[in-house]
Amino acid sequence: MKLNYLFNPKTIAVIGATDKIGSVGRGLVKNLLSGKETSAKAGARRKIFLVNPNRKKVFGIKTLPSVLEIKGEIDLAVIAVPAQVVLKVTEQCIQKKVKSVIIISSGFAETGTKGAVLQDKVKQALTRANTAFVGPNCLGILRPCTGLNASFAPLTPSKGNIALISQSGALIDAIIDASNGKSWGFSAIISYGNEAGLNLVDFLNWAKNDSKTKVIALYLEGLKNGRQFFEAAKETAIKKPVLILKGGKNPNSKKAVSSHTGALAGESQIYSVAFKQAGLIEVSSIEELLDIAKVLSWHAKCKNGIAIITNGGGAGILAADYCYQFGINLPKPNQATLKKIENSKLMHPGYSKSNPMDIVGDALSNRYEIAISAIMAQKDINGLIVIQTPQTMTEPIKNAKIIIEAQKKWPQKPIVAAFIGGELTEPAVKILEKNHIPNYPDPRRAVIAIKSLISN
Amino acid sequence: MLLGLEETKKLLAKYKIPQVKAKIVKTVKEAILFSKQNEFPVVLKIFSPKIIHKTDIWGVIIDIKNEKDLLTSWVKIEKIAKAKKTEIIIQKMIFGEQIIIGAKRDSVFGPVVAFGLGGIFVEILKDISFRLAPINKKEAKEMISEIQGNKILKGYRNRELVNLLKLEEILLSLSLMISREQRIKEIDLNPVIANKKGAMVIDAKIIL
Repeated sequence: MKLNYLFNPKTIAVIGATDKIGSVGRGLVKNLLSGKETSAKAGARRKIFLVNPNRKKVFGIKTLPSVLEIKGEIDLAVIAVPAQVVLKVTEQCIQKKVKSVIIISSGFAETGTKGAVLQDKVKQALTRANTAFVGPNCLGILRPCTGLNASFAPLTPSKGNIALISQSGALIDAIIDASNGKSWGFSAIISYGNEAGLNLVDFLNWAKNDSKTKVIALYLEGLKNGRQFFEAAKETAIKKPVLILKGGKNPNSKKAVSSHTGALAGESQIYSVAFKQAGLIEVSSIEELLDIAKVLSWHAKCKNGIAIITNGGGAGILAADYCYQFGINLPKPNQATLKKIENSKLMHPGYSKSNPMDIVGDALSNRYEIAISAIMAQKDINGLIVIQTPQTMTEPIKNAKIIIEAQKKWPQKPIVAAFIGGELTEPAVKILEKNHIPNYPDPRRAVIAIKSLISN
Repeated sequence: MLLGLEETKKLLAKYKIPQVKAKIVKTVKEAILFSKQNEFPVVLKIFSPKIIHKTDIWGVIIDIKNEKDLLTSWVKIEKIAKAKKTEIIIQKMIFGEQIIIGAKRDSVFGPVVAFGLGGIFVEILKDISFRLAPINKKEAKEMISEIQGNKILKGYRNRELVNLLKLEEILLSLSLMISREQRIKEIDLNPVIANKKGAMVIDAKIIL
């Protein structure tokens, strides 16, 4: 596979390596060096060469004046030099027969015609040499499972099964920070920049076949070849869920049109139509992108038919409203289910024998336990939302453990938690998520998450 | 540029899209002859490749029931036709639900087809569905069923159930046309009138 050198290089040259505070090169070198330890621990030794003709040493490591001075083959060269020098170092990379290149440097097509001309020269050179390359004007590439962080992101994210492919590098930085300390993580993070070389479609096709990737999350503002993207996305969505957040949707750029169809088929509408037709899940915020990525990352798909168990009437009603809004069926508990609950003698006499099942505010964990196990055993219930509001007697940690056990017992029926609150619920939420039960602090977010699991 | 009347007719025929019987007429005599051959009621309207919104300048007179009506209507339409230097078309009046079926070449995704109810539904409520073309039969069905006003086509209250199969056929044909005919930028089949028996294009605009 032609992208192997990019995602799991054994030898890397950093061109423009520096330890100057506040520079892109410094972040890049730090990230690559820290990843070296991770990769060594994983048994994949990685050699990193620092190239900079103006500095003898970077972080105490001797540098080389040019990539041509390196002995042995280079799998990946990461370029972070000023735009006007990029062509020269690129040509050296070609001469060195470097197998893949990431151009971090900005100052190309995104800045205007002059930059576009320069970009085109770089592109021509690399294309002629048949060298795979990313960028320019990108954050870089991260592959947590191989310890590769070829980017100047502020942190190295934890590994997981979400592939994040983004047109915006800054958004990646923010998402990495948001994921810090969380139980979900990434199979790969790709900032594709100006797409002069490898483009969104190439990365989509790669993620489709990547065994480490279960969910693909995309952020984009515009497409260069919409039709090609549409076809690739359609094929990918058959294999894996693909989430998409599209920026740049305001209709100001509408051109003069003369037919009704032309006037009504605005750009953002057609984007949404294409996404839907290709089977992608379009989301409307970063929060929603991460909420849904998380649930898809941990849970299997299920059929429609969801139960809600709650210790708070209001939160249960809200959840039921959202279910109605999003077309989620709430099957009633049957006689056998109710009998099990009542025979336990643990349930409050005033509990709602319905769906949502309100087990009443003073519910201790044993009430959650009996309700969950009775409901999960019911045949037409295919998934569960457990809502918890923190009341004086509520036992969040015990409740979390009951949910985790129930999920183990019924692995084919996904459970989504909505432990609503703050400080009082936080420790329980950590336990839930450590065990891959996604929690959402708002019933609406929990309902949207479980909706994304439902396949008709 | 708007495609001429004869070429539009030919192109629609090539893709087997049903069109209402229509003719360019120069004199009231010709109009009367057409009406007798094809039976009243009829419609008179102006046509010029330069005029896109005919109704805005009172260029359409519908439901002309008899010869007497036709004579008075002719006087009105001839006045406008002379002032605007257009031709006059006569066509058979068809009753049913007004529908718009359209297509365009999107700058990002290429050919796209559209389906909606005509009149205020499309203009004010923007109740319209889209798909990238070419579409298949299942997608054509989805497009018709996903508009809000879908109930109207299925015999709401005392309205007549519309022949949805014929509408699907037009959608599929138009999807093929926009995919194959690279020179076309936009198409409006507006209105298409659909009733129990079938569906027919009353007016078509093809923009190159």
